[in-house]
Amino acid sequence: MANNAEDVENNFMGQPESAAGPEPRQQQQQQQEGGTRLRTRGGSGVGRGEGGGPEQNGHPPAARPAVQEAEEDEDEEMTLKYGAKHVIMLFVPVTLCMAVVVATIKSVGFYTRKDGQRLIYTPFPEDTDTVGQRAVNSILNATIMITVIIVMTLVLVLLYKYRCYKVIHGWLFLSSLFLLFFFSYIYLQEVFKTYNVAMDYFTVVIVIWNFGVVGMMCIHWKGPLRLQQAYLIMISALMALVFIKYLPEWTAWLILAVISVYDLLAVLCPKGPLRILVETAQERNEPIFPALIYSSTMVWLVNMADTGGPRRESAEETQEAAPEPAESPPPLSSPQDDGGFTPSWVSQQEHQLGQLQSTEETRRQIQQMPSARPPAEEDEEERGVKLGLGDFIFYSMLVGKAAASGDWNTTLACFVAILIGLCLTLLLLAIFKKALPALPISIFFGLVFYFATDNLVRPFMDKLALHQFYI
Amino acid sequence: MNLERLPNEEKLILCRKYYLGGFAFLPFLWLVNVVWFFREAFVKPAYTEQLQIKAYVKWSAVGLLFWVAVLTTWITIFQHFRAQWGEVGDSLSFTIPLGTP
Repeated sequence: MANNAEDVENNFMGQPESAAGPEPRQQQQQQQEGGTRLRTRGGSGVGRGEGGGPEQNGHPPAARPAVQEAEEDEDEEMTLKYGAKHVIMLFVPVTLCMAVVVATIKSVGFYTRKDGQRLIYTPFPEDTDTVGQRAVNSILNATIMITVIIVMTLVLVLLYKYRCYKVIHGWLFLSSLFLLFFFSYIYLQEVFKTYNVAMDYFTVVIVIWNFGVVGMMCIHWKGPLRLQQAYLIMISALMALVFIKYLPEWTAWLILAVISVYDLLAVLCPKGPLRILVETAQERNEPIFPALIYSSTMVWLVNMADTGGPRRESAEETQEAAPEPAESPPPLSSPQDDGGFTPSWVSQQEHQLGQLQSTEETRRQIQQMPSARPPAEEDEEERGVKLGLGDFIFYSMLVGKAAASGDWNTTLACFVAILIGLCLTLLLLAIFKKALPALPISIFFGLVFYFATDNLVRPFMDKLALHQFYI
Repeated sequence: MNLERLPNEEKLILCRKYYLGGFAFLPFLWLVNVVWFFREAFVKPAYTEQLQIKAYVKWSAVGLLFWVAVLTTWITIFQHFRAQWGEVGDSLSFTIPLGTP
């Protein structure tokens, strides 16, 4: 579910103005005349995947497309909704997140050490006597986890449908609070232990307090964009590290595979919970709680015509700290709040919120954007791409596990595989212009590369090195 | 959040909130305030609210320097004398390194 959220969130933000709403509609009408008509965009267009429904935004500033389309004849033109620049915009944060996770795994022993603790969601141990028993246990664990995720997604959809916004907001807030304070405290402690550094409580409290409060402000309120992005990357990395530590081997791989499938189903099937969520959000045409999405730029909306002067509105793609479903480590008594913290929920949140975010932004934009805008204004606006935080988490988890198994070949192979998958997903997004799951392709490639490299390439390279045979 | 797109009054309000927030033992917030609003306060051509923003940025910088001085002093003292303080040192310690100091 987490995946779903993430997947859903894989919207590309066309024009910062979350004009997704208005633009797609406008464009849709225009497009309906000419069939599938893609607008040419100068420079890098931003592909925006709108989840579900009729809204597909071709977005970028409505004015520009409208102007351009009006000028052009009926010929359909191929356009890329996004360019290489936007792909790079996603590569950098994904790479950074993975780099943080890999660096931590390689240096801090805590996250690879199996202390025998398990999450409550994976009660079956994997240190069994027979391989068969281990397989059965891991399948059971994965089933429980996925069920929890599905339930959390459904709960979220229900909450959203029945307008229990406060509950969702509170949940999100507590999630990010827990993640920013508690997990970073643990992380800091382990890093100090690894490097054998003495540290006093006073300094640590000050550091964690500052880190946490500024993080909450940046993610849930207003803060510099770069800092917000940095915080989202950090919490994704923290979450991935928690997963790597507390999920047993086979369970982790199974969960990755199953969650990709679930993501695919939940986002694309008509009855999928995430899709329902997105469509409900679109129907209601309302802004929702902060989303758990990473956005590469700010979305800006400029309203010119109606107000007689530039009224600027920033439609922030707030990247809310995804209330990472922190699986509280078993030895600690999980507070009741942790119940909501499941990866699925986070992912659901993420991708649902992501889509919702875009939809509400689009709506806002629609309402605010005049039909014709001078192209100059559009040039000022930035376009960005969005990716759900759950996607970050699971990508980093895959690469982290590859790093934990010890081999750099495997780690790099998985890294490349995930980036290739991301590229393909973005390409599909540009073509289909709807919200797409970001997990399946990347995770599939990542898994294939991991097992192939680990079982085929590594022994091969080892043998070559052993015999001093260079190729 | 792109400062470019905010009207000046909102910039001032944001700057003031960051400044006031820093008093809650949040020197990091002051640092963010200084870095984020530096261009607004000192590089941009003058506008009405700029004077106040300048004041906030300056006072944030002062507070930040104060905190940096305090923390550096404390950390230096702690790292240097921790071993000698014996039990007190241990109870103050969050992590205790292994081996002989």
